[in-house]
Amino acid sequence: MSKLQVKRTVDMQILGDWVEKSSRVLDLGCGRGVLLDYLVHTKQVFGVGVDMDVAKVAACVRRGLSAYQGDMMDFMRAFPEGHFDLVVCSRTLEELQSPSAVISEALRVGRSVAVGFVNHGFWKNRLEVFLSGRKPRNDVYTTPWHASRPANPVSIADFEHFCETERIRIVRRVHLRGDWRRPCRALPNLLAGYALYDLAR
Amino acid sequence: MNDAQGQISHPRPEPGDVGLVEPHDYVCRERFEFDSGQHLDEFTLRYETYGRLNAARDNGIMVLHALSGDHHCAGIHTINDRKPGWWDNLIGPGKAVDTTKFFVICSNVLGGCQGSTGPQSLNPATGRPYGVEFPFVTIRDMVRAQKRLCDHLGLTALQGVIGGSMGGMQALQWGIEYPDFVRRVVAMATTARESAQGIAFNEVGRQAIMQDPEWNRGDYGRSGGPRVGLAIARMMAHITYLSDASMDRKFGRRRKSAPLSGSYSFDVQFEVESYLKHQGETFINRFDANSYLYITRAIDHFDLPASYGSLEKAFDAMKAEALVVGFTSDWLFPPQQNREIALALLRSGKRATYAQLNTDLGHDSFLLESPQLYDLIRDFFERDFT
Repeated sequence: MSKLQVKRTVDMQILGDWVEKSSRVLDLGCGRGVLLDYLVHTKQVFGVGVDMDVAKVAACVRRGLSAYQGDMMDFMRAFPEGHFDLVVCSRTLEELQSPSAVISEALRVGRSVAVGFVNHGFWKNRLEVFLSGRKPRNDVYTTPWHASRPANPVSIADFEHFCETERIRIVRRVHLRGDWRRPCRALPNLLAGYALYDLAR
Repeated sequence: MNDAQGQISHPRPEPGDVGLVEPHDYVCRERFEFDSGQHLDEFTLRYETYGRLNAARDNGIMVLHALSGDHHCAGIHTINDRKPGWWDNLIGPGKAVDTTKFFVICSNVLGGCQGSTGPQSLNPATGRPYGVEFPFVTIRDMVRAQKRLCDHLGLTALQGVIGGSMGGMQALQWGIEYPDFVRRVVAMATTARESAQGIAFNEVGRQAIMQDPEWNRGDYGRSGGPRVGLAIARMMAHITYLSDASMDRKFGRRRKSAPLSGSYSFDVQFEVESYLKHQGETFINRFDANSYLYITRAIDHFDLPASYGSLEKAFDAMKAEALVVGFTSDWLFPPQQNREIALALLRSGKRATYAQLNTDLGHDSFLLESPQLYDLIRDFFERDFT
């Protein structure tokens, strides 16, 4: 399996284990609905995706998913506390305008919040920046800076520090090694390529 | 957001046209009670159908027209017709609403003037047109009359209902009123609650009609009537269907050839003036002024949150999946009013999607020729449909 395929399925399996059957799931930055589709089929969840892009929403319609085109903060503000069992924020964290506000709003509308992200502190990224002095280019960071969307990379250490200062409870965490498959048990901020967190208030 | 999976492309035959079509009349001889408490002993709906009903009689798609629309939404009546039906770009073999798969039905609304019973129909009690003696009509009345047509045609279910503007209101009402009959609802450029601005525009149109002495309290016979008032109502309303950008592109400040009276006169000088004048003039030849009053009033009264306690409660019984589409430049039923529909549906645990198209054509954008819109509608209706 290529890294690209692994990328697509990495949090599917883990989130699949975390999600309760028939629960209400909100996917922030749902893209074409691959993850939601998987959760609907394996866990019969009632899913809703949010995305800014009409083409992505159209792809969700093709899959028979509910999707909302627009701003995720506006969307969440329209829902009462605890409306969703789980809010998923998978690989969108680094593109958010205000990650702290989004996570806090997600913790309001969701009983739990799953966040998955690429660990920017991974040793290969560090080494690449150290040796070349340029934006890392690899399987994960595929585009040069001038062809990339604005991104605000985050490391495992950053994220855990954030949860601690915001008093967000980390219910579960999964760190995966550079292959995004094998679990990483030691020095995650250095050795983990991907991280997934299950958060609650 | 970054799972860039390639678009799946289905090879599709070149879309075709519905071709020659003819209207039919359904005469319902069963008493009809209006929301207002008034009633009719019988009524007629003029309608057209395209495509074939399947064996299960459940492949119907009901097309719902807006204020000034009618039952003729696709195809042509004679080979000399200059224009096809009003939604011909959307409906036909291989088109977004595919008539090789679906049985498309469109009827002129109750209270209308294109063949369905309305204020200009003869009142059997007096032998004269109803005029303002006609019962007040609501969006729900329109939908309940359409349901009778569906029963008459022997439909067991509707695969979908679709409409923009007032058609979108009917689509929502269909989902609410007949939860076990409708599977999918498409509501575009619409609202769950007519806004003050919308009521205001409708009222200006009605005043233009009613202030015309020819209106004569609605009693003007079959010809004539408040032609000036109705034309002005149409000119004004037409502006609300466009946008600053689209008018600027279409007309700009371009002038017609200088009037004989010179520039310093009030004769038509700009193209936009002549366009609106033309819109008004063609409208009076096809539309009844009293119908205009009744239908705009039905729109004004449309307020789902008030009728059901809240929008969530309104949607409580609904079982259909919904697709709500807003258009960025629509200032008559702005995106926010469409978003609210989808959000309320989702809050009440329904399957609903909100999509928004970036256009500069204003409210009329829902009639737009847009492959993006076609794909959304096609995929929404056809998914899991065999």
